[in-house]
Amino acid sequence: MKKAVENIYLVLIFLFLFLPIAVLILFSFNTSSLNIVFEGFTVHWYKDLLQNRTLLEALFNTLIVAGVSTIVSTIIGTISAYGLHKYSFPGKNVVNELLYIPVVIPEIVLGISLLSVYTLLKLELGMVTLILSHICFCIPFVIISVRSVLEGVDPHIEEVANDLGASKFQIFTKIVIPMLMPGILSGAQLALTLSLDDVVISYFTAGPGSNTLPLQVYSMIKTGITPDVNALITIMLGVVFVLLMVSTVVQLRRIKKEAIS
Amino acid sequence: MKNKKLWKYFFIIPVIIYVILLIALPLIYILIISFFQSDYYGGMISTFTLQNYIDIFDQVYINVFLKSIFVAGVTTLICILISYPFVLAISHKKPATQKILMTLVMVPFLTNSLIRMYGWLVLLRKSGVINQVLLGVGVIQEPLSLMYNMFGILIGMVYTLLPFMVLPLYSSVSTVDPQLLEAANDLGASKIKTFFKIILPQTLPGLFNGSLMVFTPALGYFFIVDILGGGKIMILGNLIKNQFLTARNWPFGAAISIVLVLITSLVIFAYRKLGGKMEDLGGA
Amino acid sequence: MRKIGKGLIFIGCMVLILFLSGCSRKEEKVLNVLNWSSYIPDSVIRDFEKETGIQVNYSTYSSNEECLAKVSSAKEGTYDLIFPSDYMIEIMISRGMLEKLDTTQLSNVGNLDSLYLHQSFDSQNQYSLPFVMASTVIAVNRDHIKDDIDSYQDLLNNDYVNNITLIDDQRIIIGMALLANGYDMNTVNEKELEVAKDWLLQLKPNIKAFDSDSPKNFLITEEADIAVLWNAEAALAYQENKNIEFIYPKEGSALSMDNFAIPKGARHMNEAYQFIDYILRADVMKEIIESYPYKNVNQATQALLDPDYLYNIASNIPSDIIEDGVYVKNIGESVKLYDKLWAEIK
Repeated sequence: MKKAVENIYLVLIFLFLFLPIAVLILFSFNTSSLNIVFEGFTVHWYKDLLQNRTLLEALFNTLIVAGVSTIVSTIIGTISAYGLHKYSFPGKNVVNELLYIPVVIPEIVLGISLLSVYTLLKLELGMVTLILSHICFCIPFVIISVRSVLEGVDPHIEEVANDLGASKFQIFTKIVIPMLMPGILSGAQLALTLSLDDVVISYFTAGPGSNTLPLQVYSMIKTGITPDVNALITIMLGVVFVLLMVSTVVQLRRIKKEAIS
Repeated sequence: MKNKKLWKYFFIIPVIIYVILLIALPLIYILIISFFQSDYYGGMISTFTLQNYIDIFDQVYINVFLKSIFVAGVTTLICILISYPFVLAISHKKPATQKILMTLVMVPFLTNSLIRMYGWLVLLRKSGVINQVLLGVGVIQEPLSLMYNMFGILIGMVYTLLPFMVLPLYSSVSTVDPQLLEAANDLGASKIKTFFKIILPQTLPGLFNGSLMVFTPALGYFFIVDILGGGKIMILGNLIKNQFLTARNWPFGAAISIVLVLITSLVIFAYRKLGGKMEDLGGA
Repeated sequence: MRKIGKGLIFIGCMVLILFLSGCSRKEEKVLNVLNWSSYIPDSVIRDFEKETGIQVNYSTYSSNEECLAKVSSAKEGTYDLIFPSDYMIEIMISRGMLEKLDTTQLSNVGNLDSLYLHQSFDSQNQYSLPFVMASTVIAVNRDHIKDDIDSYQDLLNNDYVNNITLIDDQRIIIGMALLANGYDMNTVNEKELEVAKDWLLQLKPNIKAFDSDSPKNFLITEEADIAVLWNAEAALAYQENKNIEFIYPKEGSALSMDNFAIPKGARHMNEAYQFIDYILRADVMKEIIESYPYKNVNQATQALLDPDYLYNIASNIPSDIIEDGVYVKNIGESVKLYDKLWAEIK
């Protein structure tokens, strides 16, 4: 009885979570362009998608922004997490506190303050400012993620390596980074997710020629969305879903292995 | 020796530059312009004034603050009420099932939040899927007003922010000792009693963490209010956006942002007082 | 382990390549247009790109204020071509934000109907040339609303709860409230504005949503049965539902003339002229007007338009409406009264 209630509840919540996505996928195969009633099955929106240059450009920009900002923030974040863990310097506490600001502050405040500074510095709004802003809010998440792994690392390992004559560079690239890999990867994944999801900060810091998918969809929601957007969303979700499933299966195998041994 | 110093610089210079350039400078600049005068055409006159802060205490803007806090508060509350039974139900499953279910929770959130809002728009509008289905089945005779009102906004907010509550709650629920629960059960404690005496106290850190991560973003998500509220309702996010993008009054927008930062700081202060740790935040 | 070192180098190269490719794209011929949403069909822009090889970066805004904010907050030279309305042209000229136009570069400038030139906001057309004209109109879905409506006051009817969509533009909507009460649409008299505020608060229960970008969708999807919107939006809604009626209220309508203008320091000035000249071509303007049926100001195009356009009062605004209509005017600092009033209504 109790189990049944629990299961029904889970189903209901998952329904709530997947309903909006499911409708979008469904309507990507709809013959009517109005997204109101399902009238018949078609794939011609997928063909339209290939013709829609505005949309493809927005997708391209989104991927560039997400890719570059994930890579850069993962590199800087990893280096910084290690630096903050290992070294002390004047003002370290202040730096530590400030790092949490992008995590907790409402995004709109970060968005307008970055916009103001770009205006102050006479930086032209575009891809560069957009990527800078994304790097800005991704780095702290990478640092937090890497640091949580660093705390569990035995500091003696580095000492031993040093005694054995390994150079600092060797120690960092061959010992520290591999040990931190789980934290680095989850930090990178987080950064990628945040960058792909962001609307608010992009809204303020994008400029001509740096239209991203969310911004494009935002203006299209107001003027009317064509189902080729649904088609694009469906494809993206498909890719994400496959990637997630692969990673889950890998992790499940590990859980099972651990359970056996 | 010199090499060692260089090495140290390599590790700490990037973060210092980052913090100064992309965090401290923007916020300090916003603080400064919040004391500037506006020329009403998007320009700023750099004479010191407190007028922007005085203006905030106008009834109009106080109402916007109250409305925003209401929206954010109700969103947080609903997220808590949904998430507790949810994570408890999940925690009763086998580890492998738990892993799969928690991955599934994340799937919708790998699309952009705006795209999900569009999904809700298709569902909720007058000619939307939900109304069509209900009308078709005959449950209702007239389409319901599900959006362009507070209801629509709350759905959008709860939907967007739910994972920020579910994830920390889930990780703190999984630290509760199952033997303790069994013991409570054996001793004949009711479900409700077990929840309030054992589960709730032990999951408080996750609850606080989740509440913080839901409450503060909800104050600023102007696009949810825009899309599902029909431009009739204004929260702080819309107010700030308007000052910067339509009312051309940057100093006033900056002053509102500073007050928003103060509200956030208060929430964080409370979170820390209650024993919350900063490093737990954002570890989703 | 060595793999990771190599991986880092690889990632570094990738970043470098991406940044370089980002920079090299700038070398192409581009044009940064900032325009109203739903104003120029995508096909016109694509054809222009094909014909000239210029890449058009198209961004949009939904109010004149937003246009001003975007141009003034971006670095000078970010945008090459904008489409502000009458009073915004005046503001921008007074702030030195616009370049003087060199009409010798525009071979099709003669196509413009002289009736629409030399307006008060730029009497010599030194900084701007008219693009299209618009008027607000009340559109009513006659499938559901049978009452007579000929005045803004009729919108206060208690039967219309949650059934009216308005343009999301403070000057226009507050202006409507002022007109409804018999005041000047550009008043700075606080008492009159107070009356307008009370009127709008009375109207509020009837308001379904504020939307400037595409209010027609509310009519088409029957989300709302009444809308106060720009004429072309009403005409587009009519294409989907022939039972939509247009009403120009007796108190008068708000008019707007949107213009080509080049912001100060534009970096692709030649491309901007090419684009303006392209749009002034009779056939191109025809395509635009057919997609977004605002009031055409191009004489050469007028001859090409078909009766569907010419005899529809929502697209080809009758001249008496234009005579009775009112333009939004620059009211200087008093705009803060409007800002605050707007926040009170929302």
